[in-house]
Amino acid sequence: MRRIRSASASAGLAAGCAAALLLAACGGETETGSDGAGTLTVWFPGNSESEMALVNDTIVPAFEEETRADIEVTYVDWADISPKLNAAFAAGTAPDVIGHGVAATADLVHNDRIEDLTPYLDELDEAAREDMGAALPGGTVDGAQYMIPLIMTIRMIVYSGTDFAEAGLDPDQPPETWEDVRAVAEQLTQRDGGDITRAGLVVPSDPIGAQQAFGTFLWSNGGEFLNADNTASVMDSPEAVEALDYYVRLYQGPDAVDNTLGVAWAGSPEAQQPIATGDASMQLSNAGSIGKYQEAAPDRDLRLMMPPAFEGNEPQAFGGPANGLMINKDSGQKDLAWDFITHMIEADTNTDYAEALGALPIHASAVDSDYISANPELQKAVEALVSNHPNPNVPGWVQMRDAMGQHLERALHGEVDPQEALTAAAREVDQVIESGS
Amino acid sequence: MPTGAPPRPRRRRPHGKPALFGALFVVPAALYVAIFQLGPVLYGLVLSFTRYSPLSRSGPEFVGLDNYRSLYGDPEFGRAMLITGRYVLQVLPITVVIALGLALLSNRAFRGVGLFRTAMYVPHVVSLTAVSMIWLWIYSDDGVINQILDLLGMAGQRWLSTEDAALNAASAMRVWKALGSNMVLLLAGLQTVPKDLYEAARVDGANAWQQFRAVTLPGLRPMLTYVIAMDIIYLAQGFTEIFVLTQGGPYGSTTTVNFLIYTEAFQYNQMGSASAMAFVLFAFIAGLSIVAIRVGQGRRL
Repeated sequence: MRRIRSASASAGLAAGCAAALLLAACGGETETGSDGAGTLTVWFPGNSESEMALVNDTIVPAFEEETRADIEVTYVDWADISPKLNAAFAAGTAPDVIGHGVAATADLVHNDRIEDLTPYLDELDEAAREDMGAALPGGTVDGAQYMIPLIMTIRMIVYSGTDFAEAGLDPDQPPETWEDVRAVAEQLTQRDGGDITRAGLVVPSDPIGAQQAFGTFLWSNGGEFLNADNTASVMDSPEAVEALDYYVRLYQGPDAVDNTLGVAWAGSPEAQQPIATGDASMQLSNAGSIGKYQEAAPDRDLRLMMPPAFEGNEPQAFGGPANGLMINKDSGQKDLAWDFITHMIEADTNTDYAEALGALPIHASAVDSDYISANPELQKAVEALVSNHPNPNVPGWVQMRDAMGQHLERALHGEVDPQEALTAAAREVDQVIESGS
Repeated sequence: MPTGAPPRPRRRRPHGKPALFGALFVVPAALYVAIFQLGPVLYGLVLSFTRYSPLSRSGPEFVGLDNYRSLYGDPEFGRAMLITGRYVLQVLPITVVIALGLALLSNRAFRGVGLFRTAMYVPHVVSLTAVSMIWLWIYSDDGVINQILDLLGMAGQRWLSTEDAALNAASAMRVWKALGSNMVLLLAGLQTVPKDLYEAARVDGANAWQQFRAVTLPGLRPMLTYVIAMDIIYLAQGFTEIFVLTQGGPYGSTTTVNFLIYTEAFQYNQMGSASAMAFVLFAFIAGLSIVAIRVGQGRRL
């Protein structure tokens, strides 16, 4: 019998923690899928209604009919997925198939909790692998495939064709370099005395959003966070300082173009975000949400700009898998788990799943699907995926990200200069690497 | 031989079946306390001397006092302690003084006093998470406060996204939340002060302020001590409102010790150092509470 449930934000957290405390030292094998019929437990991150409807009513029944297996799906709020998963591992009750964000992968690998999927992946048709070529690298750790991405994301600039036209700019010829983006942003910014009344360009500045936005500037200026073998930070390089200086000047100085410093608008519904409300003419956003922005503000002629680069560099934008599936190393149903994953990444199924979440599919061929081809802006987003650049997939990444987020915030507020902020951030990141978290 | 007072009857220890029967009644509650309260606390104490990630297969690794030593020089933890202390100090006096004023007001007979008391108590009944969500909206850029400021021709503020304002905004919400329960407790305390003491004071010519100082405050002392001690305990563990309103930001300016513990334990999987933080926080709260109780009892520190 199949049971599908949705875990609320807090339900079970206390119980999970208690279980972790009491059973942490016990360890033991996961008791999953031990019956003959083949039961598979799957956790998905998030609680999107449309995702749950699609998975519960279509994807899972089809897989069950095909395999005669029972699938137990649980949806866990993003905010709770890590604590609950940790408690489940400690208690020996982790699911067979684990859905999570890519940032969690390296820590799970480091603790020998998830299966290396490279041998399974090698058995896939080569054409299918090539079709997922932009997505798969985001799920690798030290060259091995541990996560199979389900949906993709990439940061692109959403801009208003209406505002462009009003300012005498050609909406069909958006800027191609960050320098040009800055110049256009100044033209689009409207001021009342010293106050910005309409921002030319808004960029997320909350700690996580700032790290991701900075990554976009950094990579498209030829910089990196860590060295090639991930053993030391290189985020205080001249390229990084230039990138952060560019970011800071969006907010600071008489020619500032962004008045949303410290405002966490990125998590708001699309209709309430500055580009939809008309409070901004350009906005660095998740490109997959373009359809929702257009729906929220149909009169603003919202479009996507291909990822810009600093002059002399290649475009690179924060992106990669937004979520993906892994297999619990202790699972007794690894083959069935892999079958479920392959079912989820089958081209049509995956496109339906991406559409339900308003995200980008993992297949390049999805550009011809009804979902993508119906919207030329979504087509641009899929085409831009070749420029996606994920964060480093290393143990302790969440700690590193939070550490650098705080220093980036200080620089953005003008409390320290970019060089000082990056030197301090690099020092803290090195400490995390040395601690072997 | 003088007999004096009649001999006290010897208390006989129950034994046999009645004693066993009594113990059986105690066992469920004792087991509950041992397993679900003392057990986790003791396990947490043990963890504080270890390095442990729940993801790890090797289990906790004993590191002695290392976690406590590293806290000593950890600027992030030091800052969180200061923020926690500031949070307690800027909420506690205001909430106690206003609650005392409201208790004095609602101790009088006037039409609608029952409704007034109920209205003041309602925030205490609503969960802190729900209240925080409502205040998140109140403090938003387009929230009620900024709309009122706009009507008055004043510029709106970013209550939760600037370092100067965020902790104060959280504190204001917490004052509002704590008023009802404090008021009801102090009201109960006021109603235990004997009326004849006020009559005697009036006969002696004491004015209202003198009556308050000489009769009300001494009579309220036990309840005031209780209210202050409980507020210290709750406020120093501030987490929910911080989690909902600010997530510890902007750049750590509202990161209380409890929020830091959450981050350390559940985001970074550092259970050992998080447990050490929890026990340092416990010592901090115990110290403050003891000071409050001794001052309340009029004893030397």
